[in-house]
Parts: sequence; structure tokens; C-alpha cells
Amino acid sequence: MTTGSADVRDETVEVWDSRLRLHVKIAGDGPPLLYFHPLMGLSWSPWLDQLAQRYTVYAPEHPGTSPGDPQAIREVQTFWELLLVYEEAIRKLGLERPAAIGQSFGGMVAADLAASFPRVFSRLVLLSPAGLWRDDAPIPLMEMVAGPPEELPTYVFAHPESEAARAALALPADPEQIPKAIAQTIWNTGCTTKFAWPIADHGLDRRLHRIQVPTLIVWGREDALVPVAYAKEFGSRIAGSQVEVIDDCGHAVPVDQPERSWTAISGFLAG
Amino acid sequence: MKVSLFEQVPYRFLPEGFERLHSSVVTAPYQLVEPGRMTESLVSAYAELLHGARAGFDGICVTEHSQSSYDISPNPTLLASAVACAAQAEGLDVAITVLGRSLGKTREPLKIAEEYALLDCISGGRLIAGFPVGLSYDANLNASLPAVETRERYREHRELILKAWSEPRPFPWNGRFEKYGQVNIWPRPIQQPHPPIWIPGIGSPGTLRDILQRDYSFVYLSWDGPKLTGRQVFDRYWELAEEMGRDRNPYRLGFVQVVAVSETDERAEKEFAKHLQAHYWSGPGAIPRTAMAVPGYAEPAAIEGMLRSAGHGGMLARLRTATYRELVDSQVAIVGSPATVADQIEAFVREFRIGNLMVMLQNGSMPRDLTEKSISLFGEEVLPRLRPIWDEEGWTNQWWPRAQGTTGAVTGAAAGRQA
Repeated sequence: MTTGSADVRDETVEVWDSRLRLHVKIAGDGPPLLYFHPLMGLSWSPWLDQLAQRYTVYAPEHPGTSPGDPQAIREVQTFWELLLVYEEAIRKLGLERPAAIGQSFGGMVAADLAASFPRVFSRLVLLSPAGLWRDDAPIPLMEMVAGPPEELPTYVFAHPESEAARAALALPADPEQIPKAIAQTIWNTGCTTKFAWPIADHGLDRRLHRIQVPTLIVWGREDALVPVAYAKEFGSRIAGSQVEVIDDCGHAVPVDQPERSWTAISGFLAG
Repeated sequence: MKVSLFEQVPYRFLPEGFERLHSSVVTAPYQLVEPGRMTESLVSAYAELLHGARAGFDGICVTEHSQSSYDISPNPTLLASAVACAAQAEGLDVAITVLGRSLGKTREPLKIAEEYALLDCISGGRLIAGFPVGLSYDANLNASLPAVETRERYREHRELILKAWSEPRPFPWNGRFEKYGQVNIWPRPIQQPHPPIWIPGIGSPGTLRDILQRDYSFVYLSWDGPKLTGRQVFDRYWELAEEMGRDRNPYRLGFVQVVAVSETDERAEKEFAKHLQAHYWSGPGAIPRTAMAVPGYAEPAAIEGMLRSAGHGGMLARLRTATYRELVDSQVAIVGSPATVADQIEAFVREFRIGNLMVMLQNGSMPRDLTEKSISLFGEEVLPRLRPIWDEEGWTNQWWPRAQGTTGAVTGAAAGRQA
């Protein structure tokens, strides 16, 4: 679901032979920065406001996850088509080699865009991205997505009881709005997992070598969804990349460790 | 009306308290199984279905679930095939209903086309082809197919199967999910262009509209019995039928009901109470709610509707602990003497205009001898009361097999009854 700051505006970009109206949330000033959201949809969280103080943040909503347009997911049949949709949207937005941040599912999208179209981004930040698979480090995506909802925070946060974690999953205050909000989040997850089910592996390991831009890989050491073992898998395949592993941090890096992740990300982007 | 015996195939020897520790689907631990008792569970189901065919039921029904302790029937056409051959050999004129192979779950739809066709051939044209989407846990967890694509796969697979059955010459199929160069299956159904098609579902408006438009027969599959959720689904169906210009032929509608029959009401309770409780607790009651709708399986409006109506109507959320009394009072299970059972069934069948009734007489830990007694009593004393219910209205049942030739082909035995 999209919650938001007052200064976030919504723009639609017509792509994919006019079959899709991609919703992009935009905020801030400065050089362009693309943000690709995780599995449950775009949530405009405090650290995006922080980024918007230095950059113009463009955050596209995965097809089907924009409220009121659920069937848009039907227009994108494969993961390859999803990448083409985004590549087109970046051109239509008039963005010249923006920096990009991809988180979790969005990290898989951003990494594959950078590998498939080596000149599309200027810099790349991957926050605990999906996209690879090791038999000795299974990613419990199915267990999380189809498991009891009360267990979900334990996959995402190092400290599920923390105020930040609770705020990140907060439901609307108006009880009448709660079913709609839950339904939207469930549907969002259905739209993203379409390209990540049951295992989010589209052969990215064989394409990562094509990434040619400076890349920062950030991981929480206690990640219970995509284990930290994958940090070095990404790092070793992307030439010249930096890997930053943050202690006492789970899958949702900016929620669990806002200051340390901000220091790492802002320093890298400025560098 | 037509009355069929429907069997799921539970493992009958689950330890007490299973549901407190385990899920009955996807992750149900196989270490609990003793091999000999698995054989007994599977073979009993086969024997009971055949017993039902001998007891005069119009049809036998089986269905498909994988990775489940409450229905060990990963491919129901295997079981149906064994019953069909035995029925042939004995000259029993019984419809073979596979309710069915799950079209939203399969990775090989042409196998379903072939298997159904084979069943139709060996049964002499007695197949009823069930085309279910498949439950979410089965399609999206067991088969691990993306939930949001489940219905798209279903529609393509159904179209492919229908074409494979009736297209005279080999044809290419360039679908989104399936691609074939030359489709030319052997055998094809005796019943052309296709056997009667029954669509099981839980009654969502989109499904009902599709069924009526294509002129198939709807089977309301529910664990709730007729009382709790029946009215809203059946009323919606008949209203839609009227709106779409379809007649009120009761054979457009089927329903599955759990039943147990004994000599008296008291005896029925004594014999069946613990088995029925065990069935609901360790079977449907032990399916995690989230496994019934993996994200993407249901549209946002439908999810919102489910969330807003949670706790109203259905019994599903309470099945894991429901007492015998609750089950019987709510008619989730109809249990008692032949007269009690016949009275209750007749009342709701007439009220909701149900033409195809499927009764589940084996459930949970119920042993074979007790099940067969229940089947016999139903066949002797309940069936004769139900069968003529719609006779006076004079409808044609175009959703019943158009059997050709005789039974007994396997042994050359005398011709059986015609449908």
C-alpha cells in the first residue's frame, strides 16, 4: 500500500504499447534516483523522504499493485516482459542514467535491469536482493507468503517488536479501512510473486557479470528471508562491487538499521 | 434425481491429536504412516466405491489432492479406472465421475484429456468430466504455480482439452502456457463432442456465470452442508440462471454432502460420532486458512469480501474443534436412521433444486465394515426415496452420461441396465 508524505506526487507513464499505465511516485529535488520496492508493494517510508532531500526519487509501482488497477498484472506475462516495461518507463520518464536502489524483490528487478541493459543506470544499490538460489541457504519465500500472517514480521525484521517494525506494517487507524488495506497488500504480494514463485531464480547468476556500474550491496547479518550468504554471491559476481553487511539487522535493512544503512547508501551515492 | 457415492481417500489411522501438531496438507509428515495401513486405506476406498456401485448408486465420484493426509488421491483417474473396469466386469451401469483432475494445477493438460478419454472408453461412455480449478494449496503450494495465473491456466487448459477431444485432425496449439506441434490424442471420448461437464466450485459469481454461459453443471463443493452457506450460493445460482435465460432444470446443480446411516439415530451417533469428529478435526479442520488462498489466487475485491465476512456463515474456521453435536445440528454432517437422513436430504434438495447429489459416506478413520453398512443402508432405504424427487417435473438430464452399448464388455457378461 502507498502511504505518504504530502510532497509525493503520482505520475502515470503509458508503456507497453499503451496496455499499461505505470504509476510512479515522485518526490524531492536533485539528480534522479529510481527505487524498486519489495514484495508487498510500495510503502513510502521515512528513509525515502530522507533520500528525497538530495535526489528526485522515482518509485514505480509494480504492475497490478496500484490501487484501483489490479488487472494490470495480466498485461505482464513474464519476468523478461517486466524488465522491458521498466526499461521503457525509464526512457519515457526522460531519465538519463539515473542511480537505482532495489530492495528485496525490487533488488532482483534492479539487478537484472542493470545486467540486461548495462547502460541504463549510473550507480546501483541492492538492499538484500532476491534473485539467486543456493541449496544450502534456501529462501523461505513460500513459507512466509503462505504462512500465518502473525509470523511474517519474524522473516522481515531483526526486532519485530520494535516501534519501527510495527510502524512499517501498521494498518489504517479506521477499522473500516482495514480489510481493504489487507486485501491490497495480499494482492500486491500475488502480483510480485508472479515473477518469484516458488523460487526467485531467473538465471540472474549467469547475467550479473554484465553489470558495469559501481554497485553497493547491503545486507543484514540476521536476514531471515534471504540469508546473508547471498551477499558474497552477488559481490563476487559483480566486478568492483562493495559489500556492506550490517550487524543486528534483518531483511528490511532501512527499518532495522536506519542510521547505518543511510550512512552506507548516502555515502556510496555521493561518491 | 441422480445420487452418487463420493469418496475422498483419507489415511484412516492418523494418531489422535494430529491436528494440534500438524497441517493435513502440504507439510503433513509422512513418517506417521505405516505402509500396511496405507495399503488398507487405499484399497478400502476402492472396495467401498465398488460396494456403492453394487448397492445401486447412480455414480461413483473421486477427486484429486496432492500432498494431503485427508485425500490421498494424487491422480483420481487411477482409482476411477479400477472401479470402472470392475463395474464393467460385473455389468454394473454406474457413472464414473472424476470431480476431477485440477485444470489450474496441472502441468500436463493433455494427460488429463487422454486419461478422461480412456475412462470414457473403458466405461462404455459413462464418464462425467469434472473440471475444477484446484484448491490454492494444491495449485500454488504443492504444484508451486504462481497463484495469480491459476485461472488463466485453467481457462487455457479447458479449451485445449475440449479441442483435443473433438477436433478430427491433428492440430498445433500455441497457447500461453502450453505449446504443441501436433495434438492428436488416442483414445478420444466415446461421448462426442465431450462427456457431460461438471464444474465444482465454491460459488463465486464469476464461476457461476461461466458455468451457465457454457451450459455446464455446477457442483457446490463445501464442507458446510446445506444450511450454513447453501442458501446464498444456490439462490445466487438460480437468480443468475434466470438472468441469463437458462431454465430451472435441477440437473444444472449438484451438491456434495457428508452423510452417515445406521439402523437408528442413537446407534448412528454411537458408531459415527468419533470418526466424524476425527475427520473434520484432522482433515479439513487442519488445513491452514492461508493455504486456501495463497496471495494472487483471489482478486482484491474477493479477499476484502472474505475478510469482511470472516466468522459469518461458514464452519471452516471452527472445524478443527467442532463437536459431533455442532456438526449434526448445523447439517455439516447428516447422520441418523435412514428415515432421518432421507427426511433431511429430501427437504434441502427440494428447496434448493438439486438434481445431482453426491454423498460422502466414508470419512476420516471410519473403518471399511462400518462404511459398507452405511452404504448398504443408504442404497436400500434412502436412495429409493430420493431418486423420484424430480420425476414429476419431467426434465431431461443432459448432464448425465450417454452410455453406449452394454456393460460387461470385459468378461462378456450380460448387458447391464441402460442409463
